[in-house]
Amino acid sequence: MFNLDYSWLADPVYQGWLIRGTLTTIELAFASSAISFVIGLFGALALTLRIAWLDAFIELFVEVFRNTPPLLQMLFFYFTLSTIGLRVTDPATGVSVPLLSAFACALISLSLFGGALCIEAFRSGLDSLPRAVTEAARSLGYSRWQRFRRIEAPIASRICLPALTNIMTNQFKTTSQASVITVPELMYYAGQIYNDTFRTAEVMILVLFIYVSLVSLLSWGMVRIERALAFPGYGRAH
Amino acid sequence: MKTTILTIASSLLLALGLSAAHADTLADVKSKGTLTIGVKNDYPPYGLLNDKGEIVGFEVDLGKYIAKELLGPDGKVELVPVVASNRIEFLNSGRIDIILATLGVTPERAKVIDFSEYYVSAPGPSILAPKSATFSKWEEMKGLTLCGIQGSYFNKHLTEAYGINLTNFKTQPEAYRALKDNRCVGFAFDDMTLRKKTEEADWAGYKIAIDPYEYIPQAAGIRKDDTAFREAVNKAILKAEAEGKLIEWETTYGMPHAKYIAERAEAAKAKLKP
Repeated sequence: MFNLDYSWLADPVYQGWLIRGTLTTIELAFASSAISFVIGLFGALALTLRIAWLDAFIELFVEVFRNTPPLLQMLFFYFTLSTIGLRVTDPATGVSVPLLSAFACALISLSLFGGALCIEAFRSGLDSLPRAVTEAARSLGYSRWQRFRRIEAPIASRICLPALTNIMTNQFKTTSQASVITVPELMYYAGQIYNDTFRTAEVMILVLFIYVSLVSLLSWGMVRIERALAFPGYGRAH
Repeated sequence: MKTTILTIASSLLLALGLSAAHADTLADVKSKGTLTIGVKNDYPPYGLLNDKGEIVGFEVDLGKYIAKELLGPDGKVELVPVVASNRIEFLNSGRIDIILATLGVTPERAKVIDFSEYYVSAPGPSILAPKSATFSKWEEMKGLTLCGIQGSYFNKHLTEAYGINLTNFKTQPEAYRALKDNRCVGFAFDDMTLRKKTEEADWAGYKIAIDPYEYIPQAAGIRKDDTAFREAVNKAILKAEAEGKLIEWETTYGMPHAKYIAERAEAAKAKLKP
């Protein structure tokens, strides 16, 4: 039953594809996570300002990007935006080409999707800050921005780190959907390899192993960060 | 003429005598009055289902023609739908007498079955591109971006041998959309499919910029060492070619007229001329 044949792995073309695919997956996951993080931080900060129109805008943003499948968003950015006119003229050939590459479309889509989730995570972090802490900062004469940067953000980000770990792990796995818009990541090459070799089980097992290793490494790193940043005694009931 | 008949008659006799030791499909088929053919029913134009649910197609018509040649005008056919993965098994287990199901000639298959005359030369991939495209050879495509379909058997070869940068989609409509959006300079895919596309009004501004770099001969599959049957089938195919039947079927099933079939028709005519 377990008659696994990995002889195709000796082919340098397939080796190159697997390495390039893995690197693209990592690149896409980390870049989109970083952007999501920034969007989340600033979105949550904006929400604390209590400006009605800004609140409504962020609410709408979160609802739209959290409640639509990233796959749909990618297809929308990739096919629809270029069709409705988001194009540039290539100076070398004079041909009108779409402005956004496949990678850019996937990056934007994953960043906005992750960003919407991050806003929610950060907001819950800020909401759980004890009122006494912000009041203390105010009475010490901190300005709004100083209070956010020195008191609220450091505490809130620690509180919501576990939620961020979840978002990043999901982000990592969602990159596989970018193969649909031709981003040459791990699943894209895996599909081509098993179509060529008919070694579906072998390819899938290898790809599974690569994803598990990468995501485990990521969550291990996040746990380390969590531990390193933890305030002694804060938020831990021993 | 006389010599031809003599040759045929003697070769038939010889074949009959020889094949007594082997499988003798020709005698079997003649005694039951029916030729059982393995065909595709999901692969236009070679074998497909029509509106009435009947199996028709280029290879189905060829099969019916061969049956008439082998069994006379009263000869019957039984069509058995097969797929790529079971057709050789069906033949060798005796479920069918002959495979006429887009069977490409490969050395691996030649180890387990015999092939008839190569009646079709199936093209590999070609490139569909805007009429303004200046490239005309595969060797010019190095480093250029072409649209493709994920999982196509030729993707690896295009990357490896020509250094083409492939952008592969899941389905054809997406690839066509991307080509129109200029996400790639051309679309590398099955030549027959692309040629049909250029006939559509929407695609008038596009052409087959580069022809296929390879053709895979297609033949009937016959049991190993079934010499009499193979020779009878070859004779029938040759006769069909000489009568221009294959060109006729190309027209019936909307196929582009292939040079290979036209040339074989000429050769067959010359060969059968007394």
